[in-house]
Amino acid sequence: MMSSAAMAKRAAPVLACIGLLAVWQVASLALKNDSFPTAIEAIRAVPSILGDKESLINILASLRRMAMGFGAAVLFSIPLGLLMGRNAAVAAFFNPLLMVIYPVPKAALMPIIMLWLGVGDLTKTLVIFLGVSLPVIYHSFQGAKAVQEKMLWSGAAMGLSPLQRLVRIVLPAALPEILTGCRTGLVLALITMITSEMIARQSGAGNILFNALDMGQYDTVFAMIIIVGAMGICLDAIFERVRAKLVRWSEPQFDIPLSFS
Amino acid sequence: MAVPARSSEWVRPVARQEPASAIIEIDRVSQVFQTSARKDHVALSDISLTIEEGAFVSILGPSGCGKSTLLYIVGGFVSPTSGAAKMKGRAITGPGPDRGPVFQEFALFPWKTVLGNVMYGPRQQGIRTAEAEAQSRALIEMVGLKGYENFYPKELSGGMKQRVALARTLAYHPEVLLMDEPFGALDAHTRTRLQNDLLNIWERDRKTVLFVTHSVDEAVFLSDKVVMMSKSPGRIRQVIDIDLPRPRRRNELLLDPRYQKYVVDIERMFDESDEAGPDL
Ligand SMILES: Nc1ncnc2c1ncn2[C@@H]1O[C@H](COP(=O)(O)OP(=O)(O)OP(=O)(O)O)[C@@H](O)[C@H]1O
Ligand SMILES: [Mg+2]
Repeated sequence: MMSSAAMAKRAAPVLACIGLLAVWQVASLALKNDSFPTAIEAIRAVPSILGDKESLINILASLRRMAMGFGAAVLFSIPLGLLMGRNAAVAAFFNPLLMVIYPVPKAALMPIIMLWLGVGDLTKTLVIFLGVSLPVIYHSFQGAKAVQEKMLWSGAAMGLSPLQRLVRIVLPAALPEILTGCRTGLVLALITMITSEMIARQSGAGNILFNALDMGQYDTVFAMIIIVGAMGICLDAIFERVRAKLVRWSEPQFDIPLSFS
Repeated sequence: MAVPARSSEWVRPVARQEPASAIIEIDRVSQVFQTSARKDHVALSDISLTIEEGAFVSILGPSGCGKSTLLYIVGGFVSPTSGAAKMKGRAITGPGPDRGPVFQEFALFPWKTVLGNVMYGPRQQGIRTAEAEAQSRALIEMVGLKGYENFYPKELSGGMKQRVALARTLAYHPEVLLMDEPFGALDAHTRTRLQNDLLNIWERDRKTVLFVTHSVDEAVFLSDKVVMMSKSPGRIRQVIDIDLPRPRRRNELLLDPRYQKYVVDIERMFDESDEAGPDL
């Protein structure tokens, strides 16, 4: 038996979605604007997009770039962030660099990257990589910096080498913070994925969206927004599940989960 | 005073043979910290101390007199500004499994269970998992935490965490235990119980213990020797041998006039001490 509180918790996100769609439906009926289809029209267009082989290939290609950019960023950023957090010299070297890169919208770098690397996968994956890296580096850095020194001393007394301490103490101790960064990074990956496809219009989910816009197929535009949004929500929910599993040992969570899981 | 008949007798006592049992020698150690006020802060000044193998030695002193710093130097976690510490005749240059710290902050690995924490040291030393687990389970039972093997540190009380910290350090068999106010954060009742348990464990295998505290009772109850320190700069004021029989039982000891005299004398020495600063 689920308690009523637990049931309310489960139902809340669903109700929020239904509420949003209802507002959309009413607003669109009231405005009677060609470029603003009703929620029902947009939802109806979803299966035809997902049923279309061409579109599906495009969306999967987007997801593949996103996975590669995200994966590469995580593999690169966590070690860098941890090293920066534990080594003042490494931090002093990379900090100014990151401070300069941080506020620059990564999409703004795209024209240059396109010039060098073309409009293909490499460019888009690189932009995703850049977008994801910074929050992951930052959170890994903060997490590593906050590791209790006595914990490292305890490890040193057991005979762990500096590298072993980094991998076997700093990494797990900083994991909650690292995963917070990764979660932000995941959403940013989705955003930069679409943005990159809007700039380098050659393939991908963002390209479908803008082609439909050009052709005045507004229900397809909104259907794509729904699809991309749903992808984001699903990815985030899956990630949150994994995260919660990995850091169950961590501080007691105050119970407003920021996710749809 | 009797004048010795032969001059050589003047020489002999001076050329005392080093007691073979000295395990830790602290030789004119000073520690100076640069502070933000741009004034150098002398935390330890010219500390010399020898600790014999198997002895339970307490370091007693007001807050800020450098007790922790001294312990960290012996642990090899910080190196002194001048002077040197030796373990079994060899200069201490870094941490090692021969010296096991137990910190006031517990410093458990929060991502490991109680069993995982205790097994960490033995596993690091290459002991097979099954064997490390059996040893660790026995230790966990010894510190009174049977049934809590699969709990995470966040699920334990302060006293239980301190027991885990002790078990985790005992698990890799250090020759010297370095305990920094391990019971400082605990309530009086838990504190007493842990003192008794520690004493039982210690009386069983007589490891050398260097124990930092600012409780006079605790120091007298546990120790063979109490090193009294004074503040700014941190110095050794006096070393007092506690000549009380072992095994010590708390309820007997509290009634023992010799115990009471030690406590009263040491407390008086504290009151007489010139540092009138607040004892934070
Ligand atoms: N890393 C550091 N940098 C600057 N000053 C320090 C540092 N560590 C300790 N000190 C100073 O050295 C002095 C001794 O510190 P220490 O922690 O050894 O004292 P303590 O006797 O252990 O005190 P307590 O009983 O409160 O734990 C203090 O005045 C402290 O401010
Ligand atoms: Mg201290």
